[in-house]
Amino acid sequence: MQPGTPAMNDKPVSKLLVLDDSPAHIGRIKQFCDVNNLVALKPRRGAVMSILRTNIDLGGILYSETYGGSLEESARIAAEIHSARPELPIIVRRETQPTLSGLPAGSQQVFCAAYVASDMDALRKVIDEYIFCLIYPNALLRGISEITTAVLSSQFKAFKVSLETPYIVRDRLIFGELFSLMPLESVWCRGYMMLQTEEDPFLELLAREAVPEAATAFRKANDLLGEITNLIWGAFKNRYIGDGKATAGRQVQVPLLVNHKHKYISFGTENPQLCFRYTLTDEGAGRSLRLYQRFAFNLEWSPDDFTEISHDVAGLVESGEMELF
Amino acid sequence: MAQILVVDDSSTVRDEVTTFLKNAGLDVISAVDGKDGLVKLRSDPGIKLVVADVNMPNMDGLTMVEKIRSELGNTRVNLIMLTTESSPNMKERGKAAGVKGWIVKPFKGTAVLETFKKLVA
Repeated sequence: MQPGTPAMNDKPVSKLLVLDDSPAHIGRIKQFCDVNNLVALKPRRGAVMSILRTNIDLGGILYSETYGGSLEESARIAAEIHSARPELPIIVRRETQPTLSGLPAGSQQVFCAAYVASDMDALRKVIDEYIFCLIYPNALLRGISEITTAVLSSQFKAFKVSLETPYIVRDRLIFGELFSLMPLESVWCRGYMMLQTEEDPFLELLAREAVPEAATAFRKANDLLGEITNLIWGAFKNRYIGDGKATAGRQVQVPLLVNHKHKYISFGTENPQLCFRYTLTDEGAGRSLRLYQRFAFNLEWSPDDFTEISHDVAGLVESGEMELF
Repeated sequence: MAQILVVDDSSTVRDEVTTFLKNAGLDVISAVDGKDGLVKLRSDPGIKLVVADVNMPNMDGLTMVEKIRSELGNTRVNLIMLTTESSPNMKERGKAAGVKGWIVKPFKGTAVLETFKKLVA
């Protein structure tokens, strides 16, 4: 995914790990990915687990039943991957039959679906079912990126803000050490927005403005991320939620689960999440900060009811200016 | 004796607004939420302007301004909201409580300084 400003009608993509040794099929898989909004990561053999460690925002895995040289080795590797990352759907390419029957014992629980190279349409259906199963209105994708880029630019005036194409994630892992959570409630969605970043680069950026005392630096970072979250939420609410009276009385909630040791967060659903990745760059100092913004619509998602709040343009007052009563 | 009370749960916003106003020669104190704001105003009734966020824990800003008028009986202090909120309903509620102005964040000190100075004069 290239940084910059995504086109206004860019559909989300998704990063897939491609673990398929077959020279005969890899070209077709690559072409399939190019056409279907998938970004393929193909690690060299032996580097799979290290790639998984450094890529924690994946949508799934395209696998081969003979990866590693044999059916048994392939099953062993798949089981290891599934144990490490059970949220990632593993779709296996088989030589002759597009089902999971006949695979080594235990493998059927590891893979979510199978396909054969002669029927890539079937693979497309699996991708839609497991990864692109939620439809996101273009106006929402565009609005989120506009709002967030504007907020980040207003808070980090000396830095260049760039954004990649939004993408779909099945991973449940937390990036960095610092993250915020904000509930989102409307008639068309209920869930959370999450911002995640790394503390040290964040503190380095703060130090450019004024050097905070070491003992309290992390609290300044906490507070600034909180205010960024608040500003994004406020603009999102003004644009897409309104007064929220329609959601009054909705009592359904599910517990969120955070495991700090494993940097894991669950919203209680298998639904994939919508992710935006921003990079703030101090070009003069050669430093940059990555910020991940994720949306987990775990309680409700009704894109057919999505709407933008219309405002009386004549009465609009620019942000920062005072509207006198 | 302070002239302005800034009420916001975000220390980033409190620091930014307070520093800007102090650099402009104004006397400023701050509070962390609506409850704290009422305590500070009660103990310093000479404050002439309150600049308050809406979305705060313990007591939100609109409830605070309503209580400033009703429970503290302070009808003299000028009230300005500095918030991410811009819904007409919230503004109407603010107006009914005697809020004089509404600023949607982010704060731009130069845009509002002269009005602030007039409100504390």
